[in-house]
Amino acid sequence: MDILSHLTPLFFGLIAAGTLVGIIFGAIPGMTATMAVAVCLPLTYAFGLENGVALLLGLYVGGISGGMVPAVLLNIPGTPSSITTTFDGYPMAQRGEGERALKTGIVASIFGGLFSAAVLFFFAPILADFAIKFSNVEKFLIILLALTVIASLCSNLLMGIFSGVLGVWLSLIGTYSIMDGGNGETRLMFDWMEYYLIDGFSLLPVLIGIFGLTTVLLDAEKSFKDEANQGRISLKNGKKFSFSVFKGQFLNLVRSSSIGTFVGMLPGVGGSAASVLAYSQEKNFSRDSSQMGKGAPQGIVSSESSNNALTGGALVPLLSLGIPGDSTTAILIGAFTLQGIQVGPLFIGNNMDTWYLIIIGLLVANLLMFAIMYLAIKPIAKVIEVPKYILYPLIIMMCVVGAYAINYGIMFDVWTLLLFGVFGWIAHKIGLETVPLIIGFILGKSAEIYFVKSLESYGNYSIFFTKSPIAMLLWALIAMSLAFAIYINIRNRRHASMQS
Amino acid sequence: MTTIFSKACVVALTTAALGVTATAQAQDDCPLPSNLRVVIGSTSTGGDTYQASSIVVDQLADKLDINAKVDAVGVMGAFRALERDRRGNTIMVFHDGSYLGNLYGVNGYPDIFENYTVGPTFAINPGNAYLVPKGSDYQTMDDIIEAAGNGERVRVAIQPGGVSELGFSALKNAVRLEHPGQEDNIVAVNTGSQADKNQLLFDGAVDVINGSVQANEQYTNLPEDDQKSMRFIWLTSPEETIAQTNEEGMGDTTREQLLQYAGVDIPMSADADESFTFDKEFFFLYNKDMDQAAVDCIDNALADVFEEDEVNEQLKRAFFVPDFKPSAEAVESIKQKNDEYEGIIGNLQG
Repeated sequence: MDILSHLTPLFFGLIAAGTLVGIIFGAIPGMTATMAVAVCLPLTYAFGLENGVALLLGLYVGGISGGMVPAVLLNIPGTPSSITTTFDGYPMAQRGEGERALKTGIVASIFGGLFSAAVLFFFAPILADFAIKFSNVEKFLIILLALTVIASLCSNLLMGIFSGVLGVWLSLIGTYSIMDGGNGETRLMFDWMEYYLIDGFSLLPVLIGIFGLTTVLLDAEKSFKDEANQGRISLKNGKKFSFSVFKGQFLNLVRSSSIGTFVGMLPGVGGSAASVLAYSQEKNFSRDSSQMGKGAPQGIVSSESSNNALTGGALVPLLSLGIPGDSTTAILIGAFTLQGIQVGPLFIGNNMDTWYLIIIGLLVANLLMFAIMYLAIKPIAKVIEVPKYILYPLIIMMCVVGAYAINYGIMFDVWTLLLFGVFGWIAHKIGLETVPLIIGFILGKSAEIYFVKSLESYGNYSIFFTKSPIAMLLWALIAMSLAFAIYINIRNRRHASMQS
Repeated sequence: MTTIFSKACVVALTTAALGVTATAQAQDDCPLPSNLRVVIGSTSTGGDTYQASSIVVDQLADKLDINAKVDAVGVMGAFRALERDRRGNTIMVFHDGSYLGNLYGVNGYPDIFENYTVGPTFAINPGNAYLVPKGSDYQTMDDIIEAAGNGERVRVAIQPGGVSELGFSALKNAVRLEHPGQEDNIVAVNTGSQADKNQLLFDGAVDVINGSVQANEQYTNLPEDDQKSMRFIWLTSPEETIAQTNEEGMGDTTREQLLQYAGVDIPMSADADESFTFDKEFFFLYNKDMDQAAVDCIDNALADVFEEDEVNEQLKRAFFVPDFKPSAEAVESIKQKNDEYEGIIGNLQG
């Protein structure tokens, strides 16, 4: 077979190099899988299609997986899709269980990655046909479903909803871009802000500011070295990792991986929605979700399996329709066009060897990601033992560099990071809930686009309820998710009042 | 042995010194930095702007012996990067969308002729196309014009304010000329990426979409009962441009087959016999204050590059038409297009 001639040491070497570099990119706050793929894209011109794609797949898988490292150890999501990893990963790290949290995440990641690769291999064309049944209406409803996680995650329902709405409002600052079919007019700002805010606030500086910088500021309040040292964490305190952590998690793994793969298949919905959806479904439907958000491994399992499942999912529409499923595969498609290869509905049939090589590349990248991260995690987890007065300046420096680099050198992104760091600190003081706020910020813009597009396409509000059986099913899921979240909230309040 | 070694060292050092001098001399002649950033007006690395830019910028960098990197920063990011850099470290590549955005009054699109220096053109994408579902009743653009003239609403998916909207405006203008007062039956459904436009067609939410030969050709080869199948109905490039593409065409569609969708009669004005055509042309843009010597240097280097076969073949393989015009000629040609299309857009607005 011709395919065997492509399985050279260079092919595997490039996957390994890509995976390693991807993990490093993912682990540095502000650097993402998308950026790693964009930086290395021109190299693929020299390597040829098969070897070039091998490199990019390694970067993609590594970049998504590496995002969990700062999420667990520093409370900074390395990539937007690892935001839900912070909810349980960071509390675990604070208990001295950073290594356990990371290893749980790595195993969940490889499960999600391999699950989605298998789905891609066996069902890609069928699933692509199913994905196109999701019009703007259904995509809006999926985002609405993901937004219902706000109700599950807040400790005070009203304040949580207010924070979520504030997040949506912040996401709308800028323009409804003509690139998305909008009118390109600026809104929610003064004229003098237009130069800086025409594209709105960038997601990653906001994310790193609210999560990372706020944590640093809150700890910095302790001010004195001795006091700060009292909070030093020892890795010896917490539980050690064992595979028994996955006992009873099979359903969670399969459901979260399925959600990740499925959301990845829907162009424009975005990776963050996948992990948020998977997390909220685990919180709402698992037998015991009382510890989620306080350091429960099941939260990391749902978050990491779903965000790694995005990789195979996003490749489904790319390879079956020529439509990228997410921002990273939108760059990946460049590797094909640079080589003059058309990617569309006939791609797989016309390029069987390349198709098999992509599947092999994806499998090997996942296996290498597991091997590299599992072996390296013990020393990496020791970051948590570094005294905070040494660690925090380094974190701030990394955050600033990452924010500056994310849009190829825009200084305003650094000011955004600082602004939202201070805003997060104030929000903490006045009782605003930052997690719902950031979820609203991440999903707000997509919600607006699909809402407006639905109205433009169909012209009336009733279409949201009557468009298709899928739309009705999504409404049922939204209602169930909300009802369950409200029920849990009331039960927790009763429980708290009985205890007091 | 020692003598031979010493001589070899002297020769090597002399050669290296000459090399350095030669390089420095080349850079003196051409005041471009050794690291050149080329920003493009698109955020997509899978699109035609990135592809055409990569091919030409690679060759340009080789010719000038510099490093050059193409960054897909998007149109606003690219204009801003260009404004910030007067030294010529950053240059921009974009297409007709750069002036069409201004003609359509899109916020943030400056007048490129006033605010920047228009550099050389280098390629045409002859693939700008309009498509209908394979089972559509509309067989030709005449059918669409007639349908709209008879009061039927025809919904067209476009990305507003650019290349995508221009063909829509021309169609609407044609309906206005042939069936005055009926032009509002051509309705724009504003959307974003090609994927979004395709999705609207799959949903039956529009009747026609703007697309391209490169992105949509495979869909035209699907059987009619497939929800995703499409059919070309109009290529906006004139027949002369399509005739310059590879004979094999694109994918399973030959040049001969593509030619039947070009040269469609879309009248531009009542008194002239001219039909609307549009070539999507790629060109460089520079900061207004960029050194004229640097502008000339890029012109000369590109002239040399396009004299060789390599870049022409690479562009043709990727279904582009090589189209090098030095800066002076390019600005005249782009300005002429700007004025021509301003008329069509003006007719519809006022």
